[in-house]
Amino acid sequence: MKKALSLGLAAAFVLTAFAGCKAPADSTSNGGSTQKKVLKVAALESAYGADMWREIAKAFEAANEGVTVDLTISKTLEDEISPQMKAGNYPDVVHLGVGRDAALTETMIKEDGLRDLSNMLNMTVPGESKTVKEKIIPGFLDTSITNPYSDGKTYLAPMFYGPCGLFYDANLLKTKGWDLPKTWDEMWELGEKAKAEGIALFTYPTTGYFDAFMYALMYEVGGVDFFNKVTRYEEGIWDTAEAQQVLDIVAKLASYTEKTTVSNANDSNYLKNQQLILDNKAIFMPNGTWVVGEMADVPRVEGFEWGFTALPAVGDGDQYSYTFFEQMWSPKEAQNPELADKFMAFLYSDEAAKIFAEKGVGGAVQPITTASSLVNDDLKLFYSIYDNGAKAAMGAFVATEPVEGVDIAKSVFGTVDSIVSGDKTVEQWKADIIKASDALRGALK
Amino acid sequence: MHKQKGRGRFAALCVLPATILFIIFMVIPTLQVFWMSMFKWGGISSNKTFVGLSNFKTLMADENFLRSFQNTVLLIVVVTVITFAFALVFAGILTREKIKGQNFFRIIFYIPNILSVVVIAAIFNAIYDPNQGLLNSILSLFTNVKEDPILWLGDQKLVIYSLAGALVWQAIGYYMVMYMASMSAVPESLYESAGLEGAGRMRQFFQITIPLIWTNIRTTLTFFIISNINLSFLFVKAMTNGKPDGQSEVFLSYMYGQAYTNSSYGYGMAIGVVVFIFSFALAAIVNAVTKREPLEY
Repeated sequence: MKKALSLGLAAAFVLTAFAGCKAPADSTSNGGSTQKKVLKVAALESAYGADMWREIAKAFEAANEGVTVDLTISKTLEDEISPQMKAGNYPDVVHLGVGRDAALTETMIKEDGLRDLSNMLNMTVPGESKTVKEKIIPGFLDTSITNPYSDGKTYLAPMFYGPCGLFYDANLLKTKGWDLPKTWDEMWELGEKAKAEGIALFTYPTTGYFDAFMYALMYEVGGVDFFNKVTRYEEGIWDTAEAQQVLDIVAKLASYTEKTTVSNANDSNYLKNQQLILDNKAIFMPNGTWVVGEMADVPRVEGFEWGFTALPAVGDGDQYSYTFFEQMWSPKEAQNPELADKFMAFLYSDEAAKIFAEKGVGGAVQPITTASSLVNDDLKLFYSIYDNGAKAAMGAFVATEPVEGVDIAKSVFGTVDSIVSGDKTVEQWKADIIKASDALRGALK
Repeated sequence: MHKQKGRGRFAALCVLPATILFIIFMVIPTLQVFWMSMFKWGGISSNKTFVGLSNFKTLMADENFLRSFQNTVLLIVVVTVITFAFALVFAGILTREKIKGQNFFRIIFYIPNILSVVVIAAIFNAIYDPNQGLLNSILSLFTNVKEDPILWLGDQKLVIYSLAGALVWQAIGYYMVMYMASMSAVPESLYESAGLEGAGRMRQFFQITIPLIWTNIRTTLTFFIISNINLSFLFVKAMTNGKPDGQSEVFLSYMYGQAYTNSSYGYGMAIGVVVFIFSFALAAIVNAVTKREPLEY
């Protein structure tokens, strides 16, 4: 009897240990009486906040009866959806751009996990007469980011855009009587003048911010042709005079960089580098429009006034400003592709753009032709940069099959830290880049 | 005889749940790491290609990996030696000597262990700040660091030692408490008779205390290896994230970067295998080298 009892107890213990392992109930079985469709949307909560996404979901539900939007909004979206995706539970629409540390979007590109969005682009924007393709500002659908495989098909839809360039204190230049440099030669002159007064010419938050900076510089030095060759890892491209010029300009700028910058150029301390601008210890930093909101509550010198400019021109060439934009995609495994397309198309309507502009903290601007009428006055300074003669640079290093141990962004941008601190020479930098570029060329899709 | 068999069956049933859980959650995932290290795989889709040992071959030629290896070994050695010395001396003082505010010091030394790594990282980020940081402010009394600040986290030769500083600070209290526990078990009479025979404090420490807590010291040396590998990852993530230019990268941060940021999950697992073998081998070597006949008292 005793034995039977103990055996029974032990068996019960074994069973309870596995009680937690039961498969989760199927989430789609919700009674089945109504024809309710659930659209799973996952969105990164960026500096614009989460509220605008809730409003968007509400507006979409109101316009489409019987549809429920199941929203996942998170600052660490990868941590929440990656495990789900590994378990085969995919969202229908994901708003998450490239360039994040966890690189989920890059992984999806490299693994051919994205759905072709051509259908969505040819849809008419809900409640309007134009198609999505016509409504998106020209140029946004021709980049190596939106068309990662260069096959003429769009896999990532462009979202909230903003110009990147150099930020500075306009009041500082005014009171010192210094002109805003239009060319790099004027930039170096300003650097000497500022040095005499104990102000550094340049600082940067982290080397990650050099992507927009160097992309724009590549356009300035060699135009779109050179940029495309670099970002497609063409053989010998880094041995050209143009490439040398890009590296030399950055190296010269490194010599004008505020001396404590490298120490704080990491994800925990980069705000201290941005603070240098507000304290008038450095004049310029590369950044994006979000920096104004990011630094809204910190102390600053009296009379501080944000200024924003495109990169100085090389010789008498054009000034360029890199256009940063976020991306949205739909995985191949999405359960409701038609509804996902409908939702994405809706995001390019004036109704949605207005919600993004008004409910987003600081105002998120959609890359649509009607955007300028929706931009608030604070943002006009930034968005008018292209009206004032600067040209827009777009694109990025194209996706390849993953190559173990090779990271082009680290080789090209990350090394700037070593150039500033003097641990590497421009020749070593170039050699590193060529090595990485060579390795990736063979892995091009 | 019959009873014996029944007991055996009962015991087997009792350990069965734990054994099954152990196999499912420890043994299988570990074996899977070994298995996955032989694939080229991005980590999400089902496109896996078997590549054999090619990931390991790439690894041996990967300079960034070798640098992270060097950094990890350096941290294990430096942090272990310094922490070990301080923890042992502090424990000796706090158990053997009658000093004022003994309990106060015990608490103070243990506090870093209660703080989360992120908090400690924030504290050390403030200490290492080149302009307003505690370290440079103190040094400015003696040298000219105002004009030419020392970049604790920006200088490529210094950054790994700066990380070591934070690691030592947070580890001392933990090991000190471990040593104190075994030191207080050493019978007082041994010290008394040694004192009568004319042995000084130092001699007592080296010839009585240390030999008698030797088993404890051996255990902590294994702890040092494991915790250094794990904690260095957390500190690197929270303080420098590998910057400047990858100079503060350690084993696990490099593995994370490859497995996720660089979409090379299989390669990341290969690094995991190397870390696994390295830490096992090192622990085994340390264990073998420090083997002594346990002293009884």
